[in-house]
Amino acid sequence: MRYDDITEAIGNTPLVRIDPAVHGLRTIDLYAKLEMLNPFGSVKDRAAWNMLRPDLAGAVERDAQVVELSSGNTAKALAVLAGLHGLRFRSVTNRMRVPELRELLLLLGAEIEELPGRSECLDPTDTDDPLTQFHRALTEDGAHHLHTDQYFNPRNTEAHTTGTGPEIVKDLGGRAPDWFVACVGTAGSSTGVARVLREHDPGVGVLGLVAAKSDFIPGIRTLDEVAEVGLFDPETYDVIEAVTADEAIDGMVELNRRCGLLAGPTSGAAYRGAVSHLRPLDEERARRASGEPAERATAVFIACDRVESYLGYVRRRRPELLGRAPHRNALATVTEAELAAVRDAGVAEARRWIEEERPLVVDLRGSHAYAALHIEGAINIVDELFEQQVHGGLPFGRDRPVLLVCPVGEKSARFAALLTRMGHTNVRSLAGGVVAWRDAGAPLVRE
Amino acid sequence: MGAPLSQDQGLVGSAASEDGSGAAPEEPLFLEPRLEPPLRALLAAPDLLHELVDALGSPLNVVLPEVVASNVEAFRAVYRRHRLQGRICFAHKANASSALVRRLADTEAGLDAASVAELSHALGAGFAPDRVVATGPKDPDFLWLAARAGVTVHVDAPAELADLVRLVRARGLPRVRVLLRLSGFASEGVRLLTRRTRFGTPAGAVGELLDLCARERDAVELLGVGYHLDTTGLEEKALALESCVLVLDEARARGLDPRVVDVGGGFGASYLADGRQWERYTTALTDAVLGRRPPLTWGGHGYGLRNEGGTVRGRLTLYPAHRPVAGPGYLDELLNTPAPGLGRPLAEVLLEHLYDLWVEPGRSLVDQCGLSLARVVDVRATEDGTRLVRLAMTAGDVSLEEHGVLTDPVLVPRAGAADPPGDGDDRPVGVHLVGDLCLESDLVTRRTVFLPRLPDRGDLLAFANTAGYCMDFRAHRAQMRPGARKVAAGRRPDGAWWWSLDERYWPHTTRRSGES
Repeated sequence: MRYDDITEAIGNTPLVRIDPAVHGLRTIDLYAKLEMLNPFGSVKDRAAWNMLRPDLAGAVERDAQVVELSSGNTAKALAVLAGLHGLRFRSVTNRMRVPELRELLLLLGAEIEELPGRSECLDPTDTDDPLTQFHRALTEDGAHHLHTDQYFNPRNTEAHTTGTGPEIVKDLGGRAPDWFVACVGTAGSSTGVARVLREHDPGVGVLGLVAAKSDFIPGIRTLDEVAEVGLFDPETYDVIEAVTADEAIDGMVELNRRCGLLAGPTSGAAYRGAVSHLRPLDEERARRASGEPAERATAVFIACDRVESYLGYVRRRRPELLGRAPHRNALATVTEAELAAVRDAGVAEARRWIEEERPLVVDLRGSHAYAALHIEGAINIVDELFEQQVHGGLPFGRDRPVLLVCPVGEKSARFAALLTRMGHTNVRSLAGGVVAWRDAGAPLVRE
Repeated sequence: MGAPLSQDQGLVGSAASEDGSGAAPEEPLFLEPRLEPPLRALLAAPDLLHELVDALGSPLNVVLPEVVASNVEAFRAVYRRHRLQGRICFAHKANASSALVRRLADTEAGLDAASVAELSHALGAGFAPDRVVATGPKDPDFLWLAARAGVTVHVDAPAELADLVRLVRARGLPRVRVLLRLSGFASEGVRLLTRRTRFGTPAGAVGELLDLCARERDAVELLGVGYHLDTTGLEEKALALESCVLVLDEARARGLDPRVVDVGGGFGASYLADGRQWERYTTALTDAVLGRRPPLTWGGHGYGLRNEGGTVRGRLTLYPAHRPVAGPGYLDELLNTPAPGLGRPLAEVLLEHLYDLWVEPGRSLVDQCGLSLARVVDVRATEDGTRLVRLAMTAGDVSLEEHGVLTDPVLVPRAGAADPPGDGDDRPVGVHLVGDLCLESDLVTRRTVFLPRLPDRGDLLAFANTAGYCMDFRAHRAQMRPGARKVAAGRRPDGAWWWSLDERYWPHTTRRSGES
């Protein structure tokens, strides 16, 4: 397929059936609308482009900065689209909780502003929400901004009434599915798609998924937060249900490992939410068919973006999913007995040893702390780096005397135990670390 | 916005649904307070509480000095876990109690005084000057007393440091130890916006202050730098803490020998027992603001939320009453947070740079340290059925509303009441708690409060966990009313309660020794 412009590649995403052996529904075919295959990686490409396009020429003319309140995918799409047209982009957010996306935005040249956290000493008369402050700031300086306003802009919904919705109907052979499942963020995709599907078949069931309160799933708002969204209308949905972050990750892993879909946690939430909502309905349908093959029904959910940006999110919530067997020479494998056998040296003894045998002094602290103050002649190998080095073997000769130094003498003792196990014959740990050294009045130098 | 008051159903437990369909009555929206064993035990002694209020009047504040000592220990445990050293300073402004301050003087804690009276109080309670920090905006008298007594001065601005140096020279005072309060920390990459503050020196302009410290080192000794950010956001605090470490590096480059990073307070307290109640309540409040249910407040007040064309705007001006991580746990989380630039956990950064960590908790250090009692003087229904419970206190005596803290008071019935209480109705009831001032706005809370049953005249309502800012911070003497009395209480080894007037409490008293 040949295009003159990457924006032509937005939309017309595949509708892929999920293997029934994975989801276990007997009478319902479940399809994923792969919005993650849009060129900038998410369903937001459609809305971003549709909101930006009509004002683009004017914005270029007056060199306006594109501005949006977004924590992720909309910002990503807008950053690319702005750059593509020589415009600057600024994302304002209080929810930038996915570090990979944040760094990607910086890489794309976006400016990011994070709004302050909640006040600890409350001022009950200060009721300005960040949104109001943001809007006021934009009005003060109107000409220089193009605010796409995704939470209120009808062109967000329109991107889906003209694109996503009709595509689903077309791919299902001109029929609407029996159920449509979407996570609610800006409510743009769910509202737009639901409108089109209902025009085809008023009987279509629409399931809106929100994040469980006090839980965080990227791209999904909680039940209270959706009330702040201008495009959100509870009448759009037949049912609104909550999904937890754990369920979202479980769903995501199933899509990743069993379905060949490298979709992220938002998609996982939609998949998981769809299956748990449909299961009792499916059982009822199977029971009513009583052995006869039941009439097939269809359901569609939106797979909104890709998994790669959410490794930190997974690491934080479900580290076991990224677990590997520990290295043989890992610090964590040091035993109490090995630790007890370590030769440590008090400050006076260490000073004498340095004077007489000139051991290699290895300071394991961070490089900034080392630069600020350290024992004269010490070299700096930051603990994380040092641990990586010993995975491969001893980083210095077996008989070379070595004095290990850390802040309080705990980490250095562990490393000394590890080096001893690896065959080093003359390694010691500075008892009490640099703190004890300083408290004893021993000299420290700056570079 | 806001439906008329008449929709505010008093009896929620029995409220029939509007369409008469007989749908199940809604659960009352309780916000039950978190009660740790000491407060729970005190509330389980109704005779004592009634006797105290009979003798000393309503309202009455009760503080538990032993709890503050164990709170210090809980903070210290976090220090130990991270191998860190440094002072835990009580922010005195959270509570004026002599008993709490004297009990703290008998622990290893320090104290943060923000006025001449607080400083005098601390010194008089047994705090040696090296355990006290003078903070906040200072007048010349406060500065003199701080310098003369030899307490550490937390310098708010360059002009204040210059004043201090002049004072030391002019009066021939001993060298004063100072901490510099910084603000306006700049981030790299992502611009972190922070609430505007009136206090502190912008971190970018600290060079001038450090020069002054180096030049005047015989008058002032730079102990370290610090910040106090009004936010619950860890990222903002992580940026500030790391910036302080970098500033101290500049100080070292000038030949100074600073030792301390003071991270201020703001560790927070959790007021509610059950997070689900908080979630249910805030969702219901949003619904009420949108008109999807009857108001939950006096006059349809939205606590900062408002309805604009079916969409909620505004910001909830409520303290996050249920916090899964607060107090020492929050400090622990902060110390585990990676420094934004250096990448290592903040505890590690402090330790590696050989800096001590000072903290100035207020609310979290007096968490669970007391309660406020008020006598029910009148119970009546207005024409539209709204139930008013009038208390012998003013809204200023328990400033929960002013601090945005929503929790239910605990009903402590008068013992020996012959008849079943109230009108015999033992079901949960929604009431409005009004104060004793001749003033329409004197509402103890604007929230409709749900109680397990309608209280009777003579019953007590106990507002739990008020020792942090909610006892005396906003109390006033309007209408020439006497201020609330304060008593200290605790338990003897045999479990019996002792109590004394707050000002008569001293930690050494033997009859209390060995208490649990």
